[in-house]
Amino acid sequence: MKEKRRSTLIILLSLAFGMLALTFASSALFRLFCEKTGHGGTTQVARKMPTRVEDRVITVRFNADTQRNLPWEFKPLQKQITVKAGEVGLAYYHGINKSQTPTVGMATYNVTPHKAGIYFNKVECFCFLEQHLEAGQETDFPVQFFIDPAIVEDPTMDEVDTITLSYTFFPLAKGTNLKW
Amino acid sequence: MAYAATADHVHIDDHPSGWRRWVLSTNHKDIGTMYILFGAFGALFGSVLSLLIRLQLAHPGGTLLAGGEFQIYNVVITAHGLLMIFFFVMPVLIGGFGNWFVPLMIGAPDMAFPRLNNISFWLLIPSLILLTLSIVVGSGAGTGWTFYPPLSSVGQPGAAVDFMLVSLHLAGASSILGAINFITTIFNMRAPGMTMHKVPLFVWGILVTAFLLLLAVPVLAGAITMLLTDRGFGTTFFEPAGGGDPLLFQHLFWFFGHPEVYIMILPAFGVISQVVSTFARKPVFGYLGMAYAMVSIGVIGFVVWAHHMFAVGLDVNVNAYFTAATLIIAVPTGIKIFSWIATMWGGSLTFETPMLYAVGFIILFVIGGVTGVTLANGGVDISLHDTYFVVAHFHYVLSMGALFGIFAGFYYWFPKMTGKMIPNWMGNIHFWITFIGVNVIFFPMHFLGLAGMPRRIPDYPEAFSGWNYIASIGALMTFAGAIYFAFIVFYGFKWGKKAPANPWGEGATTLEWTLSSPPPFHTFETQPHIP
Ligand code: HEM
Ligand SMILES: [Cu+2]
Repeated sequence: MKEKRRSTLIILLSLAFGMLALTFASSALFRLFCEKTGHGGTTQVARKMPTRVEDRVITVRFNADTQRNLPWEFKPLQKQITVKAGEVGLAYYHGINKSQTPTVGMATYNVTPHKAGIYFNKVECFCFLEQHLEAGQETDFPVQFFIDPAIVEDPTMDEVDTITLSYTFFPLAKGTNLKW
Repeated sequence: MAYAATADHVHIDDHPSGWRRWVLSTNHKDIGTMYILFGAFGALFGSVLSLLIRLQLAHPGGTLLAGGEFQIYNVVITAHGLLMIFFFVMPVLIGGFGNWFVPLMIGAPDMAFPRLNNISFWLLIPSLILLTLSIVVGSGAGTGWTFYPPLSSVGQPGAAVDFMLVSLHLAGASSILGAINFITTIFNMRAPGMTMHKVPLFVWGILVTAFLLLLAVPVLAGAITMLLTDRGFGTTFFEPAGGGDPLLFQHLFWFFGHPEVYIMILPAFGVISQVVSTFARKPVFGYLGMAYAMVSIGVIGFVVWAHHMFAVGLDVNVNAYFTAATLIIAVPTGIKIFSWIATMWGGSLTFETPMLYAVGFIILFVIGGVTGVTLANGGVDISLHDTYFVVAHFHYVLSMGALFGIFAGFYYWFPKMTGKMIPNWMGNIHFWITFIGVNVIFFPMHFLGLAGMPRRIPDYPEAFSGWNYIASIGALMTFAGAIYFAFIVFYGFKWGKKAPANPWGEGATTLEWTLSSPPPFHTFETQPHIP
């Protein structure tokens, strides 16, 4: 009887600790899940350049937001551009640090419609790194991207002719060591 | 009764007395009693706060809780929710009735780990103290019981929120230890012959609840820990500026939170099954279906959490999945409702107070279930989310469901626990006051919600004033009922007639009714044989 109670206890305790461990892992797993599936409009990092260009034309619109604690002005330099699926596009944003002190920002991003995230590949992006702006400094932020030509084979993407790429710049929280 | 002979033999043993009996208690009945008293205190505390809320909202432009730009109002609703959940419903249903009656119903001498049981209870005291501190320290914790970041991380930096979070850590640890104790007891200490398919449905309710606690509360604990380190140590689990995501918190919270709502109702399901079968003088219709309905509610309850998040901008397919999964829960829930009705059907019914509460439970729980199924539709919920319609829904399942389950159990087992009878007519009056009172409070909230009144606001436009006023009158009525209830309990102790071993007659077939009322300090040291 005592033995049985003890082994039940051990099983139950490990279940509880297992759930606790999964919870802590959830932060990393959640990010991994979004990256792998494009969930929530998470864009992809291009591993290789596209090898074909399709006739499908897609309008990419650009959006910019700044979290209110970051004293920057941040806006896209073009409202939208059109690219063909598989064609590499280049767009610029512009940032100005309006304050008297150097600040560091980091941009979060996604695309809408969310289901387009898995097809939206970034070759190069200012959002991959933290950005330093000295007091009053201005700079252009480039983003180079393409839309995976496989998009033409996905019937659920048929009605998508516009994708909005959105960034929000946040001040870097103190003491953070960023690894996205 | 068949097994009476072996049951209450005289036991002379070390019988600690004075404060030691309680503080160092390892006796499941004493610990159960302490849980019930503790829960009664939590209920009183939480009810006073709810009365304050309804007084603030009785008329537009209320100023009662307007202090600190209405932060006081926020603090009051936060503490009300947490007190009712963690310091009233859970302690009474699980800690109180569970401790008292699980060992008795399965013919076990005590819980599997009596000292652990003691720790589970006493952890709640510092937890309640910390929660009280979170109300009074600084400007108080006004995050709502769901404490979403960024409001709970960067939005309210004072110590109050930390006190609240640590309080929940302790309450959570208490629950997990309690859950381990119940599961081990139910699996390993049943009387010979008492197979899992013979244990009373109340025990099944507690068993499923314990598993939900075991798997869900660690997730809450993890989320709280991450929130605490985000607040105090510069981590960024839920902070986009550092690569975190505030939505992750909502996922974690509701992965705990949805099972938590079933944690509050499954023991009540168990109580209702015992009571209905007792007063219909019939075994429960479809016993196995009832038991496995609870199991499947528990299992499915883990995969529906995002129905609390339809409005956060999830993918339409994700919303469709969570809509469908949530609707599926209505199936086992419906099985339970129909089985209770079928149990009553053709039974020789009598309506003592516990039975009135059980029938009240069934009626009002169905209303709450119907509004739940309404809200489960992601498209509909976009417009109803965070309105008073949601408040009406969850009070029908909790403030009528769980609360009526508690009252049914209390009136049912009061003679067993105390050896005294409460006169039936006194309890029946209490039932009718409560039944009318809670409906007057919460039914109008459906209309307010459909008309678009948001929840968690301290004031509202003139257009909403009529139904709000009525709801506040209902609150006063219910509160008067609660005071009357305190009097009934006092009356029962002081002047109640002595209770026989089984005051409810042939329908009360579970093992606790084979013992004297109150039962001796030690019971079932030799376990009965179940044929
Ligand atoms: C047929 C079964 C049920 C269904 C389909 C259901 C569905 C829902 C849905 C969709 C919501 C989210 C509404 C919103 O925030 O917009 C909700 C909220 C809620 N439900 Fe239920 N529910 C059911 C039963 C229950 C039960 C049995 C309980 C507790 C005993 C419960 C307690 C709650 C609570 C506390 C909330 C609100 C949480 C908060 O936002 O503070 N529900 N329910
Ligand atoms: Cu839920």
